[in-house]
Amino acid sequence: MSSLSTRHKAELIAVGLIALFFIVIFPLLNAHGLVSDFTINLWGKYLCYALLAISVDLLWGYTGLLSLGQALFFSLGGYMMGMYLMRMIGDLGQYHKPIPDFLVFLGWTELPKFWKPFDSFPFAFSLILLLPGLLALVFGFLAFRSRIKGVYFSILTQALTYGASLMFFRNDMLMGGNNGFTDFKFILGHDLRQPATQRGLFIVTAVVLLLVYASLRLLSHTKFGLVQRAIRDGENRVLFSGYATAHFKLFIFVVAALIASIGGALYVPQVGIINPSEMTPDKSLEAVVWCAVGGRGTLVGPILGAIGVNSLKSWASRAAPDYWLVILGGLFVVVVLLLPGGIVSIPARLKAFAQRFRRPPEVAAVAAAPAPTPVVSESKPSV
Amino acid sequence: MSAKYMLTVEDVSKTYDGFKAITDLTFYLFEGELRTVIGPNGAGKSTFFDLITGRAKPDKGKIEFGFDTDLTELNEYEINRLGIGRKFQTPSVFTEHTVFNNLVLSLKGSRGVFASLFNRLSSTDRDRIDELLKLIRLDGKRGWKAGQLAHGEKQWLEIGMLLAQDPKILLVDEPAAGMTDEETHRTGELLISLAGKHSIVVIEHDMTFVKQIARDGQVTVLHQGRVLCEGKFDAVQANPKVREVYLGRGKTHK
Amino acid sequence: MRFLIRLLLLFSPGLMASVCSAAEAPRAVLTAAILAKDEARKIELITSLAGEADDAIKPLLTAWKEDGLFLYQPSADVAPVPVQLTGEKDANDTQAALRVDSGRPLLDAAGKPVRLAAGDLTAVEHDADLRHAMKDVLDLLDLSTPDVAKRIQAIQAIGFAQDVGKIPALEKRLGLEANADARRSLREAVAVTRLKDSSETAKLAALKELRELHSLSSYDLIRTAMRDAEAARQTEIAVAARSALKAIDAHKSKINFYGTLFRGLSLGSILLIVAIGLAITFGLMGVINMAHGEMIAIGAYTTYLVENIFGEGLVIPCFGFSLSIPGIHATGWFYQSYFFVALPLSFLTAALVGIGLERSIIRFLYRRPLESLLATWGVSLLLQQGLKLMFGSNNVQVNSPVYLSGNWTVDDITFGWNRIFVIGFAALIVFGVWLILTKTPLGLLIRAVMQNRNMASCMGVRTERVNMLTFGLGSGLAGLAGAFISQIGNVGPSLGQNYIVDCFMTVVVGGVGNLAGTLYSALGIGLVDQSLQQILLNPVLGKILVLVAIILFLQWRPSGLFVTRSRNLDD
Repeated sequence: MSSLSTRHKAELIAVGLIALFFIVIFPLLNAHGLVSDFTINLWGKYLCYALLAISVDLLWGYTGLLSLGQALFFSLGGYMMGMYLMRMIGDLGQYHKPIPDFLVFLGWTELPKFWKPFDSFPFAFSLILLLPGLLALVFGFLAFRSRIKGVYFSILTQALTYGASLMFFRNDMLMGGNNGFTDFKFILGHDLRQPATQRGLFIVTAVVLLLVYASLRLLSHTKFGLVQRAIRDGENRVLFSGYATAHFKLFIFVVAALIASIGGALYVPQVGIINPSEMTPDKSLEAVVWCAVGGRGTLVGPILGAIGVNSLKSWASRAAPDYWLVILGGLFVVVVLLLPGGIVSIPARLKAFAQRFRRPPEVAAVAAAPAPTPVVSESKPSV
Repeated sequence: MSAKYMLTVEDVSKTYDGFKAITDLTFYLFEGELRTVIGPNGAGKSTFFDLITGRAKPDKGKIEFGFDTDLTELNEYEINRLGIGRKFQTPSVFTEHTVFNNLVLSLKGSRGVFASLFNRLSSTDRDRIDELLKLIRLDGKRGWKAGQLAHGEKQWLEIGMLLAQDPKILLVDEPAAGMTDEETHRTGELLISLAGKHSIVVIEHDMTFVKQIARDGQVTVLHQGRVLCEGKFDAVQANPKVREVYLGRGKTHK
Repeated sequence: MRFLIRLLLLFSPGLMASVCSAAEAPRAVLTAAILAKDEARKIELITSLAGEADDAIKPLLTAWKEDGLFLYQPSADVAPVPVQLTGEKDANDTQAALRVDSGRPLLDAAGKPVRLAAGDLTAVEHDADLRHAMKDVLDLLDLSTPDVAKRIQAIQAIGFAQDVGKIPALEKRLGLEANADARRSLREAVAVTRLKDSSETAKLAALKELRELHSLSSYDLIRTAMRDAEAARQTEIAVAARSALKAIDAHKSKINFYGTLFRGLSLGSILLIVAIGLAITFGLMGVINMAHGEMIAIGAYTTYLVENIFGEGLVIPCFGFSLSIPGIHATGWFYQSYFFVALPLSFLTAALVGIGLERSIIRFLYRRPLESLLATWGVSLLLQQGLKLMFGSNNVQVNSPVYLSGNWTVDDITFGWNRIFVIGFAALIVFGVWLILTKTPLGLLIRAVMQNRNMASCMGVRTERVNMLTFGLGSGLAGLAGAFISQIGNVGPSLGQNYIVDCFMTVVVGGVGNLAGTLYSALGIGLVDQSLQQILLNPVLGKILVLVAIILFLQWRPSGLFVTRSRNLDD
C-alpha cells in the first residue's frame, strides 16, 4: 500500500486545508462581518446534514444496507438536545411558567418526571448517545438476526421511523406534539440568539464532522472496513469465510445511528426548532438523495451531496418554491439512472470518456468501471 | 488410513417444496482422506455441501463434525470457524477487493468485530499471503481487483482463500471449471498434496480430473439425492448402474 | 276530568274521531282552544289534536307553552285574534305577526302586514293542566311521526323519562306500530318505564323483558333500579336486575366483537385493495415502487374529476392556468352512477401513468431493487408536486353516491354501507386478479416471465411487453384502490403517503411473490389493528403496536407468511 502514500498525503493536505477554512477562517470572517450571520448559520445546518448523509452512506455505500430510518436517529438526537434547550428557557416562555409552554398549554402545572433530568446537560448529552444507540441496537439485533436485508431492511426501517413519527405527533407523548420544540434561548449559559454562540456551534459542528470523517477514514482501512465492504458485495461469501456478518452490521448500524444523532443534536440549537416532521420517512429518503447525488461509497460524496443539494434547495425554495419537489425528484431519477456514482464519479467518467478515443473499446470498458461505483443491490456472488 | 471420522452424515434428507434434493444420505469422511463425489446434474451434490456448511438445514438426519459436534445446530460462520472451508461452484470472491485483501479477509485468525477493528497484519501473515500468492500464481496481480480477474484466476484465488483459512475439511465444488488443462492438472496436484494434512471432499464433473485426484481413493456417486455406489475409481467407472445414469446418458466427459 | 279525557283519547280511536268530528284543520282547532273560555273545553280541543299529522301543531303548541302566542285585539269591539310573533325584532321592538288560524301574516285594514311588540300584547294563558295535555299531545305526536328514526328517538326519550303515566300511550302505539325497530324501542321504553312501577311483579316482568331485549340504552337505569332494590332489600328484583345487566354486558361484548370483526375486515379489505397492486409490482416483478401511493392518489383524483363532471363541473389551477372543466349537471340516479364510470377510468388513468413510468424509468432498473426504490421515490415526489400543481394543495371532497352512505344495523351492530361495499369489492378484485393470472394468456405470460425472465424470452415471449402490462395492471389496481379511498376519506396530493408504508408491510408480511399471502396478511393486519384499537381505545398507539408486531413477526418468519421457496437460496 506504499504506492498510495502520495495520494494519502494529497488527501490529508486537502482535508486539512478545507478543515482549516471551515474551523478557523470562515468563523473569523464572520466575526469580522465579512460573512453574514445568516450564512454561517446556514452552513452550520449544511454540515449537520452532512453528518446525517455520512451516516446513510456508512450503511448504504459501505455496507449495502439502505436504511430509510436515519432521519429518526437524527431527530432523536435533536429531541434530546431540544429537551435540554426547553429546560434552559426557564420561565422566559410566553406563559412565564417554570415549565415549557406546550406543557402549560396542555394543562400541566408541574414538570413530568421524565423531563426533570434534562436540566442537566451531561444527562441530555448522554441520552443523545444512549437513546438512538439503544434503539439501533435493539432494532438492528432483531433485523439482522432474522437476516432481513436488501429492500426488506429498507422497508422495515421506513416503518420504524414512520411509527416513531406517529408517536411524536401525539400530544400525550408530552414531547410537544405537532409543533415540537422551539423558541430556545440558552445553551450552556450562552444566548442562542447571539451571533457568537451560533459561531461557536458552527465551529463545534465543523470539528465533529472532521473527527467523524477522520475516524471513518481510519475505519475503512482496518480489517473491519474490508469486512464491511465485503458484506456489501457478497454477504454470503463473508458468512462462509467465518465472519458473523450480523455482528458487523449491527456494530455499523449503531455507529451510524450515533453519527446521525449527534448531527441532529447539533442541528437543533442552530436551526432553533425540532418537530416530528423531521422524522418522517421522506426526510430519510432526502438524506439518501444527498448521499446518492454526492456519490455513495465515498466519504466526500455524502458531504458534497448534503451541501450541494441543500444549497440548491435554499435557492429553489426562494426562486421557485412550487418546483422544489420537482427538482428534487427529477434530480434523484436522473442520478439513479444516469450517474449512479454521483458527483464524485464525474472526473473518472470524464477521464474514461476521453480515453475511449485513444484506446480500443474493450480496454476502455475496463477502465471505465470507476472505483467508487459499487452496484449495491444484487452483486452477490451466486454462491 | 486412520479410522478417525472427520465428518459423519447419516440418514440425511432434504426437500425443497416437494423436490427431494437429498434422500437418506449416509456419508463418512476420514481424517486426511481425499474423497471425490460425482453425479449427474441435480444429483444433490451442491445441496450436500449446503447441508454440511449450514446453508441449509436437513429435514432429518445427523451431520457431525469429528465425533460430537452437531453441525445442524450451527450456522454458517460457526461451522466455518470449526474448520470447514468451502469453495463454491461459481467462483465467489470479493470482487471489489484486491486479490491481496481477499486473502487478508480469509486468513486464519480472529473473526470478531472488535478484533477486526484493531487487527494489524503481522509479518508472519504477510509471509503467508506472499506464499499463497505464489502458489496460486497471482503474485503479479496482488493489487488487482478480484472482479477484474479471468474466470480461471478467480478459481485459483478462491482456492487460495480456502487455503488461507487452513481448514480441517475442505469442501471443493468443481474447482476445475473454466481452467485450462494445464491449470486443471496443477489443481489436481495441489489437492493431492493437501490430502493427509487436510480432509478433502471434491465434487467434480471432469472425469480426467477425477481420475487424477481419486488415484486409489474412494469415489462416491450421487444420483437423485442418494448414494448410488461408492468405491475405487475403476470399480465405479465399471459399475453398470453408474454407466446407465451417468455415462450412459450420452454425456461425454473428457 | 283530565284523566278521563286521556282515557278516551287512548282507548277509543272511534271516540277520538268523534271528538274532532268536524275534522277541522288543526290550526282552527288550536285557535278555538285558545279562544275557548272553559278549561275543560280547551283540554278537550287540545287533546283532539293527538294523532293529527300536521306540522303546524308542534311549533304552535310549543310556542303556546313557552309564552310565544299572543292575543291581538286592536280594540275592545273586535274579537281577539291569536297570533304568533316571529322573526327579528326591529328598532321599535316589534316583530312580524302570524295568525294562528291560518299561518299567514296578520294584516291591518289596509292589507299591510302588522308588526307588533310582545310587550303590548297579552300572552295566551296556560296552566299546569293545559301544559300536561299539550305535552301528552306532543309526545304522542312524536310517537306517530312518519320518519322512523325520529319516531324511535321520541320513543326512547319517553322511555328514559320513566313516567309511568306514559305507559298506556306507549302500549297503544305498540299495538299500531308496524316497524320492527320501533316496536323494539317501544317494548324497551315500556319496560324501562315499568321499572318505576310500584308493583314488584311489574318490575320483575320489566327486568325480564329488558334482559331479553338486552337493551343497551337502559343499562344505567337498570343499575339504578338494582341499587334501589338492594337498598330496599328486594332481593328478587336485585337478582333479576343483576341478571339483566349481565345479559346486556354479554350483548355488549358481542357487539364489540362483531363490530371489531367487521371493522377489521373492512380495514383489511382496504389494505388488500391498496396492496394488491403492489403485490404484483413488488411481489411478482421485484420492483419497489415507492410511487405506488401516488397511483392511488391518481385514481382518487380521477374519481374526483368524474364526480364533478357529472355534477356542476369544476375549475382546477392546472399548473397556473386556471382550467375550467364543464359539468353535465346530471341529477338523480344518473348522477349517482358516476362512481361506476369512475372505477374503470381510475384504473385506466393509473395504469397509463404506470406504463409510462415503466417504459421511461423502471425498465432500466430490473434486478436492481434498491435503485428502483430510490428512482420511484423521486417519481413519487414528481407526481405529488404534479398533483398539487394540477388540483391545488388543499384536500378536495368527493361526494359519495347515496348507496355508499348510510348504515345497516343488525342486532345493535352497525354496518356502514361503504364498508360493506369495500369488503365486497375487495373480494371481487381478488377474484378478478386471480382470474387474470390463472385463466388468461396474459396471466400465463406474466407468471412465465416472473419465474424466469431469460428462459421466457428464449421461448419467444416478448418480456418487455409483459413487463409493461404487468406494471400497468399493478398500477391500475392502485388507481382502483384510489377510487375507493376517495369514498372514505379526503383526497389530497399526499394521499398516497398515508398508505405506502401499510402497503409494503402488508406485502412483506404476506410473503413477497405470493398473492394469497397478501390476502391473508391484509385481513390479519386489519383485524389485529382494529382489535388493538378496541382494546387500547387509541388508534395511533394501536398502529404503532401493529408495526412493532410486524417487526417481531418477521423475526419468526423472515420471509413472511407464505414463502415462495426455491432451490436457489440466493435471496
